[in-house]
Amino acid sequence: MALQTNSCSGNAAVTMEQLCKWYGSFQVLHNVDLSVAVGERIVVCGPSGSGKSTLVRCINQLETHEKGRLIVNGVELYKGMKGLAELRRDVGMVFQQFNLFPHLTVLDNCTLALVRARKLARDQAEEIAMENLKKVRIPEQAHKFPTQLSGGQQQRVAIARALCMKPKLMLFDEPTSALDPEMIKEVLDVMTELARDGMTMICVTHEMGFAREVADRIIFMDSGRIIEQAAPSKFFKNPEHPRAQQFLGQMLH
Amino acid sequence: MSFFAILRSIYEGFGITAAVATLGLLFAIPFAVIAGVLQHFATGPLRWIVTAVIEFWRSSSVIVLLYAFYYTLPAFGIFLSGITVGAMVLGFNIGGYGSQSVRAALQSLNKGQREAGLALGLSRFDVLRLIELPQAITAMFPTFINQAIQLIKGTTLVSLIALTDMTFRAKQISELGYNPVGIYSALALSYLILCYPVTIFGRHVERRFATRKAR
Amino acid sequence: MNFNFSFAIEIVPRVLEGIGNTVMIAIISFIGAAALGLFWELLRRSHATVRPVVQFVIDAIRSTPALVQIYFLFFVLPYYGVTLPALLVGSFGLSFYYSGYMSEVFKAGIDAVPAGQSEAAQSLGLSWADMIRFVILPQMLRNVAAPLGAYSISILKSTPLLAVISVPELLGSALDVASDTYRYAEPMFDVGVLFLAMSLVAVAGITQLERRLGLTAPSH
Repeated sequence: MALQTNSCSGNAAVTMEQLCKWYGSFQVLHNVDLSVAVGERIVVCGPSGSGKSTLVRCINQLETHEKGRLIVNGVELYKGMKGLAELRRDVGMVFQQFNLFPHLTVLDNCTLALVRARKLARDQAEEIAMENLKKVRIPEQAHKFPTQLSGGQQQRVAIARALCMKPKLMLFDEPTSALDPEMIKEVLDVMTELARDGMTMICVTHEMGFAREVADRIIFMDSGRIIEQAAPSKFFKNPEHPRAQQFLGQMLH
Repeated sequence: MSFFAILRSIYEGFGITAAVATLGLLFAIPFAVIAGVLQHFATGPLRWIVTAVIEFWRSSSVIVLLYAFYYTLPAFGIFLSGITVGAMVLGFNIGGYGSQSVRAALQSLNKGQREAGLALGLSRFDVLRLIELPQAITAMFPTFINQAIQLIKGTTLVSLIALTDMTFRAKQISELGYNPVGIYSALALSYLILCYPVTIFGRHVERRFATRKAR
Repeated sequence: MNFNFSFAIEIVPRVLEGIGNTVMIAIISFIGAAALGLFWELLRRSHATVRPVVQFVIDAIRSTPALVQIYFLFFVLPYYGVTLPALLVGSFGLSFYYSGYMSEVFKAGIDAVPAGQSEAAQSLGLSWADMIRFVILPQMLRNVAAPLGAYSISILKSTPLLAVISVPELLGSALDVASDTYRYAEPMFDVGVLFLAMSLVAVAGITQLERRLGLTAPSH
């Protein structure tokens, strides 16, 4: 049973209340409270193992939470719920390892869910796919297979694939961490453009330049807790928490 | 009887050999895919049952199974033709091995593939059907060819339950006159003609897959 | 239904008379197949000129059925005046058939030894034979243990093929009981159950042995 909470949560894309998650006896998320407004750009950062990937993966339930509430696009999510597939179609996800389907062409990677999940006609799906491949500046590669592309190109295809579903919200889980340095910029440029277009975005990334330029708010996590959140201007100039100061010291030097 | 005449005479059994091999594949392929997928996903008692069925077909000796099913089933009131028993036993035996390849291929797929499919909003069944199985089946293609060769060679065993395949024909000819060298060379050659090209093709595919993986 | 369970149990001792031969055939065939397989592989590696010939022989062995190879040896050897006990001829047949597969096992096992090992051995001035014996083979053994174990089970399951040349192993003695009593269902049922049990026990035994010897392939 999906709970409609549009009225009480205003125009929030994501609301988390006291979210907790354990891996066995190890607690990865401790009472996380977070609200992300529609159109807001969030950058999540923190040391490795701090729970930032888990937090983002909870939002489309690739990981399930054990305690607390999670409301995404107005629907409360819980373990074992029905209709999860439909809800996921409105949440785009970009992975660190791209996760393109190697047995399908770039174009078919983009049209697969449009045809099979959204039930669009093939030519209509291809039109949408080409539109989004143009947006990520890679339309000429449409008929190649993923393994024939560079890492940066693959990640841009992955972004286009997610955009094809016209998501209300985009999740990025360290999208540039597996890329060679010279390819990071082409992916960040696409993400920056996406932010300009007003997409709601939650990005786990270590790219502090991108965070400074694009984010409305920076979330800093440590040991499964959000220990600081602030606008980039404030976060980078004088972070309050000593762990955040230490982290920034390591990142910027 | 000239060597060529022997070959032609053996070839009269080709129809049965081909029929058993083809029918055997029709048993083997669905069994391999269904059992492999079930074993990969099932938990609890279902997994236990699937594993037991696979192990029965895989761990038994094919020739013994062939005799056992051919002679024992009628005693339980089940009457099947020799071709059906032969194709079923050979097919399920090879299918048992195949199921392990299917399961291994599914297990070795990167879990990111499944996650990406789910994140796009595909149902679990669609993720299996459209993303995981196509990749698993491609990955196991070289193994599949090797198992098909095993199946073709296995068809010789149906000669033991009185089906007139190529091997049975050779035995019949050997009763006409003493010429073991000619008859059994011709028999070996008959199977060589059938299987050698497939062996070479399989080797070629295997090499291509190995280099593709290395890239 | 005319399957007689008490008869099936009653004849078990008579069927079991063949078990000694079954085990003996399996052991001879395994040793023969491993030795011949290693021989093919070393021959294949020795000279570039013999390589394609050996390769053809291996592929040809793998492209003909074991039953046909056994018939061939059993009927053709006497034609050239070689008369051996059927048990030996059959075991040679199985050895020959499985040597084709064993050669591939050894090939993969040797390929998995890093190229630097043979380069180091050659730069030390070792002869080809010494390099194989002291450097490559010891490292290869670990790689081939698991697949050889698997083939030993396959060989065990193939031993009833020798019943077709009248060797009194398990299936052979079951067929004898059948022709004596004119009842096929029960002896064939018995031999089916016996082979399944033997194969499961052998799998468990080999897994134990590999673990004991620390030969299980390291999981990556």
